[in-house]
Amino acid sequence: MIKTHVQVAFFLCCTLLAGIASGADEPGCLDCHTADADTPVHAVFSSAHGNLNGGGAATCTTCHGASEAHDRRGRRNPPDVSFGPKWQSDTNVQNASCLNCHEKTGGKMLWLGSEHEQENLVCADCHNSHAQRDPSLDKVLAGEQCVSCHTRQRAEMRLPSRHPIAEGKTACTDCHNPHGSATDAALHQVTLNDNCYSCHEEKRGPMLWEHEPVTEDCSTCHTPHGSVNDRLLTARGPTLCQGCHSAAFHPSVPYGGEGLPSGSSNQNLIGKNCMNCHSQVHGSNHPSGARLTR
Amino acid sequence: MKHRTHIPFQLTAISAMVLITGSVVAQTEAPEAESPYAPLLVETRPLNTRWQTDYAGGVQLGAGYTSDDNYMFGQYNGLHESGTTVIGNLRWQDFSESESYWRASISDLGLDTREGELLWGRSDKLRIKLGFDSQIQVRNNTGETPFGGSDSALQLPTNWETGNTTSDFGQLEASLYRFDRELERDTLFAGVEAKLSDNWRIDSSLSYEEKQGTSDTAGAMYVDASAGDAAFLPMPIDYRTTEFDVGLIYGNGKLNMEGRLDYSDFDNKDDVLVWQNPYSSRYPDSAGGMGLAPDNDQLRGRITGQYIITPTARFQFDGSYGVANQDQDYLDYSINPAASIVEPLPRDSFDGEATTGTLNAKLWFRPLNKLDIEAFYKGRERDYDNPRDGYRYIRGDGLSQPREALTVYNTSHHFISQTTGLEATYRMPKRSRLTMEYAYENIERENTAVEETKEDRVTVGYRIQPTPEFTTRIEFLYGNRNASTYQWDQRYYALLDTQLINATPDNQRYINHPELSQYYMSNRVQERGKLDLGWLPTEHWNLIFNLLVQNDDYDKTYTGLRYAYWERYHFSASYNPSAEVSATFYGGFDQFDSELMGRSFRGGNEKNAFEIYPPLPQASDPSRDWRTDTSDESVTVGANLNWQPTDKLDLEADYSFVDTQSDQKFRSYGAADVSPENLPSIDTTLHHFVASGTWHMREDLSLKLDYQYYRYSSDDWALQGVQANTIDKVLTFGARNPNEKIHYVGVSAIYRWQ
Repeated sequence: MIKTHVQVAFFLCCTLLAGIASGADEPGCLDCHTADADTPVHAVFSSAHGNLNGGGAATCTTCHGASEAHDRRGRRNPPDVSFGPKWQSDTNVQNASCLNCHEKTGGKMLWLGSEHEQENLVCADCHNSHAQRDPSLDKVLAGEQCVSCHTRQRAEMRLPSRHPIAEGKTACTDCHNPHGSATDAALHQVTLNDNCYSCHEEKRGPMLWEHEPVTEDCSTCHTPHGSVNDRLLTARGPTLCQGCHSAAFHPSVPYGGEGLPSGSSNQNLIGKNCMNCHSQVHGSNHPSGARLTR
Repeated sequence: MKHRTHIPFQLTAISAMVLITGSVVAQTEAPEAESPYAPLLVETRPLNTRWQTDYAGGVQLGAGYTSDDNYMFGQYNGLHESGTTVIGNLRWQDFSESESYWRASISDLGLDTREGELLWGRSDKLRIKLGFDSQIQVRNNTGETPFGGSDSALQLPTNWETGNTTSDFGQLEASLYRFDRELERDTLFAGVEAKLSDNWRIDSSLSYEEKQGTSDTAGAMYVDASAGDAAFLPMPIDYRTTEFDVGLIYGNGKLNMEGRLDYSDFDNKDDVLVWQNPYSSRYPDSAGGMGLAPDNDQLRGRITGQYIITPTARFQFDGSYGVANQDQDYLDYSINPAASIVEPLPRDSFDGEATTGTLNAKLWFRPLNKLDIEAFYKGRERDYDNPRDGYRYIRGDGLSQPREALTVYNTSHHFISQTTGLEATYRMPKRSRLTMEYAYENIERENTAVEETKEDRVTVGYRIQPTPEFTTRIEFLYGNRNASTYQWDQRYYALLDTQLINATPDNQRYINHPELSQYYMSNRVQERGKLDLGWLPTEHWNLIFNLLVQNDDYDKTYTGLRYAYWERYHFSASYNPSAEVSATFYGGFDQFDSELMGRSFRGGNEKNAFEIYPPLPQASDPSRDWRTDTSDESVTVGANLNWQPTDKLDLEADYSFVDTQSDQKFRSYGAADVSPENLPSIDTTLHHFVASGTWHMREDLSLKLDYQYYRYSSDDWALQGVQANTIDKVLTFGARNPNEKIHYVGVSAIYRWQ
């Protein structure tokens, strides 16, 4: 008889404790999402997001919402905000969850209307906030992620003349802002030239003798992702130069293959072609540099 | 120019019609039943990231071996020298504390490409970052030079034998030595971000960069205006750049704004590159002096923001105003002490200033549930407002100034461009949308041949996702740029002195031939078509195809660049059958064709470009025309495999093949002395195979084996068979074409901890 009373009392205590537990403020995310669950999520607690709202399950609800229905019947009801793969909340809902904090952290202010937003991309398409280190914050891995959609750039960055993108020393995000920009091609800087000058300050000038297209648009002569021509040029010299220069004497002369590699006319063809003499193509500050030779 | 069939345009046009028709037919479906459009994305890192990301720290140590010296394989990755290098990487972070966290990383410790960062933060209130980044660029180092000396004074050996041409340089062979063309870029940086309140944040960064090493250039000593005695020169690089910026960010959900002030200071330690003249043109007392990049600085303010007017209307803006200054002391007209200067420099320094202002603004609103409208404005102005002076410059460090009539004047190049436009996007069934955009661009320039260009651009785009597994996007652009009257003589008047202008016959008052219109500001009709296809045929496959064609027709231009044409096909196929396997195969073909027209003519009476009666001077004679058709093609093929056969083993393999070909073919029009031969084709071929295997022998210890095979060759005629003295009047480096076969092996251990 005593044994029965003890069993009933134990049952009542357990029921009471369960009731207290279920009535607590803390949601029960981690009751199911244990560290050894099939879909591991616990790495988030060792990441920059791990201590949101004091850590623990509150971290989960910071991004996923209170998710009371999911808390009660997790296999049937999705969290308020779900990033997949099983459930996908509406694009705007997912992104709003991230932008609540990140919109003001710089560079994401113009997300609305950006190319990626127009394509209905969600933050989680590129970012993994459940890993200790988000792969998209790694230059090389992020680059691979970009070219998985931007196939043209994947080809260009393997051409003989290129920026060190494949080597991970120049990241796509060094020039482009994937979260949106008011500049064409989502560039970080206000103009294409300013983007180039951020690494090539020596060409910023102003110079005494300017080469007008240079100050106007670097892409008149250069292509940024890669080129079959040296120095990322859009075409080889001297024809690149002759597209705009047809002065009397040597600038107007065609430079063909006769007599290669020697021959007096080839002094304007091989080596650095026009730049054998006019080497200061980005402008000169020398008082005798009017012809960009000094 | 080869005949254009415009098949790619036709294909995209047909595809567009089919798709739009299909969409219209599908209008009967209830759009409410549709799920929203979703991009078809490729998961590029299917491997379980546990080993890579789920540890608090990890250190990788080992050794790598590169089989040979090189400059293409190691152009940027620090593996340009044969021999053993240290593999050293560290990542360590601690986010376990509720109030603060830190993260440290170092990569490529044993290479010249090392970088590292230390980050410390307190919740989202404060973040401080310190770091360094080293980069190296090596270029073709097979060349040799007789120039020695330190810093920026290049000297020839004391026993140098001068001559009129390079073949006369008796001591050349004995004087040549190899030198490395390497540039190292080392940057230190620091940054801080702080949350001031719920609505305000501030951030700031400071960086200091040194770029040092040896680049190359070329300079010429001039005997007369058209004949230079040129030499390739090693050029020391010693740049320092300091940059600072501070930004204040405000956001309340409705209005978000960022104000930023940034300052950049560039300091070149070398003002001039001096080289001893190897030719006998003015030997023994002559030297050349080339002005190097002048010191400059720029201060810029920028304000960016967004104001959400209503849930269906917002306004975005981004404006900036920057002032770049350059006031470096002038060099003398000539480095030669014997140079005769009768008229001094007009000023001691340039005192130059260029201001750049930009404003980009967009107003977006949704008047109907299915219709978005965006009105935009983009403006940019570069005001080059500098003193205009006359310079009696000495050509190529000659001995005397030219006569006064040959004075030249620096010119202001004020530039302002403004684009206004309207874009409308209408959403339709089948997750489709139609976008139409009209933009009008107006560019005004001062002191150039064209003072104003106006361009109308119309873009029509259509995107549809008829099923959740298939997406198509098509876009057409038509642009028509009209240039104001081409003032072919403008540059002549802007550059030269009135004495010379008055002494020159009317029909010769030009620099570039009057039939030339410089393509970047001439009339142009531009057509562009893009087709993008994405398809998930099964749960595990993702196929992408991209096509881009563009035709730029400079339809009013007789000489100069007349056509440019791009045709680009790219595809990729990704296979992700499980979390343990991922494979991608990709390929592409790019083609660029252009047509350039020229007319060969001399000066004096032959420069009369307006004669219509025989005998025609050269500048008026169409038989002296020539044309070159240029074609650059590249084929890229590659494959990548990530495979985790067991939980303890990661395998990765990547192969890429790139083959390029450049051709230039000439056509002539009758003149016996204007009959250029076609240039030889230039081919480059690359095979690059990268493989790695990582064995996770213990939970905290892995062994990694890396292997790379790199094969690259090219046959550029600009280098093929060109020795240092092959060209009479150009002393080159005699560099060879790259022909590299490189093996790299790396063995390392990775120790990690929780």
